[in-house]
Amino acid sequence: MDLLLNEQQRMLQSTIQDLLRRDLTKETLVAIDAGNTDVAQGWPALASTGLLGSLVPEEHGGVGGSFSDAGVLFEELGRGPVPGAHFSSGVFAALILQECGSTDQQAAHLPAIASGDEVFAVAVTEPEYGWERGDVQVTAERTSDGYTLSGVKLHVPDATQATHLIVAARTSGESVGLFIVPANAPGVACRTLSGLSTGLGEVQLDGVAVGEDALLGDAADGWDAFERGMLKATAVLSAYQVGGLESVFQMCLEYSRTRRQFQQPIGRFQRVQDHIIDIVNHLDAARWTTYEALWKLDTGRPAEGGVHMAAALASEGYYLACNAAHDVHAGVGIVREYGLTLHTRMSRTLYHHLGSPRYHRRRLAGALGL
Amino acid sequence: MDFELEWTPEQDAFRAEARAWIEQNVPRIPDHPDPANLTREEYELQRDFGRRLGAKGWLYPTMLAEYGGGGLSMELAMALEEELDRYNMPLPPYYDTGGKLGGVAILVWGTEEQKAHFLPMILRGEIRTWQLLTEPESGSDLASVRTTAIRDGDEYVVNGTKIFVGSSHGAEYSWMIVVTDADAPRHENLGWLMMPMDLPGITVEQMDLLFVGGERGAASGIKNTVYFDNVRVPAFNLVGGEGNGWKVAGTHLEIEHGLLRSAVRDDPLTERVFDYARNAKRGGRPLLEDQDVRDRLVDFYIDSEVTRLLHFRNYAWRGQGRQLTYEGAQAYLYQKRGQLSKARAVLDVMGPQALVEAPDEWAVADGHVEVHQRGSIVDQHPGGTAEIQRVIIARRLGIGRDVREEPGRLR
Repeated sequence: MDLLLNEQQRMLQSTIQDLLRRDLTKETLVAIDAGNTDVAQGWPALASTGLLGSLVPEEHGGVGGSFSDAGVLFEELGRGPVPGAHFSSGVFAALILQECGSTDQQAAHLPAIASGDEVFAVAVTEPEYGWERGDVQVTAERTSDGYTLSGVKLHVPDATQATHLIVAARTSGESVGLFIVPANAPGVACRTLSGLSTGLGEVQLDGVAVGEDALLGDAADGWDAFERGMLKATAVLSAYQVGGLESVFQMCLEYSRTRRQFQQPIGRFQRVQDHIIDIVNHLDAARWTTYEALWKLDTGRPAEGGVHMAAALASEGYYLACNAAHDVHAGVGIVREYGLTLHTRMSRTLYHHLGSPRYHRRRLAGALGL
Repeated sequence: MDFELEWTPEQDAFRAEARAWIEQNVPRIPDHPDPANLTREEYELQRDFGRRLGAKGWLYPTMLAEYGGGGLSMELAMALEEELDRYNMPLPPYYDTGGKLGGVAILVWGTEEQKAHFLPMILRGEIRTWQLLTEPESGSDLASVRTTAIRDGDEYVVNGTKIFVGSSHGAEYSWMIVVTDADAPRHENLGWLMMPMDLPGITVEQMDLLFVGGERGAASGIKNTVYFDNVRVPAFNLVGGEGNGWKVAGTHLEIEHGLLRSAVRDDPLTERVFDYARNAKRGGRPLLEDQDVRDRLVDFYIDSEVTRLLHFRNYAWRGQGRQLTYEGAQAYLYQKRGQLSKARAVLDVMGPQALVEAPDEWAVADGHVEVHQRGSIVDQHPGGTAEIQRVIIARRLGIGRDVREEPGRLR
């Protein structure tokens, strides 16, 4: 029984804290949010910390760290919240490659993911949005020397930043295969969607020809292996949301002390206090379910239920905490340079990523044998 | 991090010893979902077992051995609790606020003579104690109590009324906060007394309540009103000195606000509710085919799990020597609110059958479900209302204040 971070994890924590203080300050994150700075500008500094190889095995140039270690790193990134492809590439794609990819495919791409030289985005969802196998309608037609991919992927995080895409496509009947597609392949067109979401894009696949070696693994159906990778990635994404929650909580706490109305700090009003208590409750519910889920993954315990529970609580909690934070801050909260809206946008953007709270709750029921 | 205890061979050996001893000594008492049904004879069996546990230092295993505790680590105490739990028995095996609450206050604030006098009889199970805090006019505003204790020679003369006290079948001692100086400022006017319950002038009267029962091992069945009419108690029994009663109370209130619950087991109600859902039918179809039912069961499960994890965090952090601030009240708040939302989920899933009391043949899970429906309401108020927990959280986090409130002294 030990619920404290170990020495090494405290070092990982301070590495990312340094990065946020030095290279990815709030001013930089606000500038990225406003479209005045390219999100890719922070990538070299981010890659230099080694965090992109956190879950990549040592033999492929990564750190081979635990899920709990990755959780520590991504929790700190979530505090920013630091946008960009670090999760899509360093966690989601890296885990899919390890679950679905052949030895050659892993050797070809994992070292480049770990170093940051290749940036992967994962294109699964479509206009008829969902994270179930049956939601995949983009087709992969067999040709003499490979496949032709056709259709539209939608709400794909980090697509325009990516050098490579992992695309889920229907190979035949109910079978779904996963393909590595260079982002600059003929027929691929990526654009970022404007609006409240941040970093989500559309990927047009207009008869994109790929070789046989583009298919991850040798199975025409890679969906089950994909879901194993997705489950593990989900726990790390929850940690990122926990970091966001922590940051929102700290902003509110600080504001409750410094903002004065009616001749006293607004935090003396119990209605304001209630909002902040709700936030810290969302935070700790998400935090401890996430930490336990990461620990279960690390120790080989059955983790499915725990991961889904953490994901539901982290997504709902981040969303609701931002609502409460806007109540605490009123007008100041929607001023871009103050920084709260970075979290508000991120909480909405991530709400459905890797499955909505409803998806996770229903998966949890299955894991409980209900 | 590590969310599980790892047992050393020495700890396993202790567990084996405890298991064998408990097997030999534990009284076999029928499971009463509603503790109000505990008979006098069964209570005496519990007390007798408590005294035998106490003689080994196992009644309050983590308390100091020199005062009659076990001096054991939290891990060994947990092993002991787990072994008792196999017989559905908490530790202590009956309602007693002496060892975990009042006794800690004596340990922190008492003189050496007071510790030597009171602690061994508490920790060895020779007495059981009730706590006397709430009064008719003092609920959430506990510091406003009116019961007086006026010094007269070597004694205090106590007058007043305490409500929502204790359990069934009496107690040998109680501990209470009283006004020792009516003219002193708020929070500096109180004293903290150990009160023998056999003194002349004390009357105990059972309250007529719609709901009783509730927290496992804590609220045993019934609640009482206790009247004090010129009760003369030795001045020796005032712990912490005149005017310091609020500080003494700060110690046991700190524990009661979310640090009482052991980390031993999951909520047993979860399996009972899941069992019902797996076997029940509606309209001839298995209940679990109803997506709403499945969703509500997940709501129920998540409430249980978060409560468990927050308490587990507090338990682990205390063991690791980390200072807790808002976390106790947070876990307690979550537990209280969780009980209410779980009760509603169960009512959604089971319908009015959840409200049928044992021994009626329609009672679910031998009546445990109906007791939970009642208990979920009762649980909102003891140890401070949900609102009081929120006040504590806000002060400890420092919401709207630059200086955070300090926790009550635990050592």
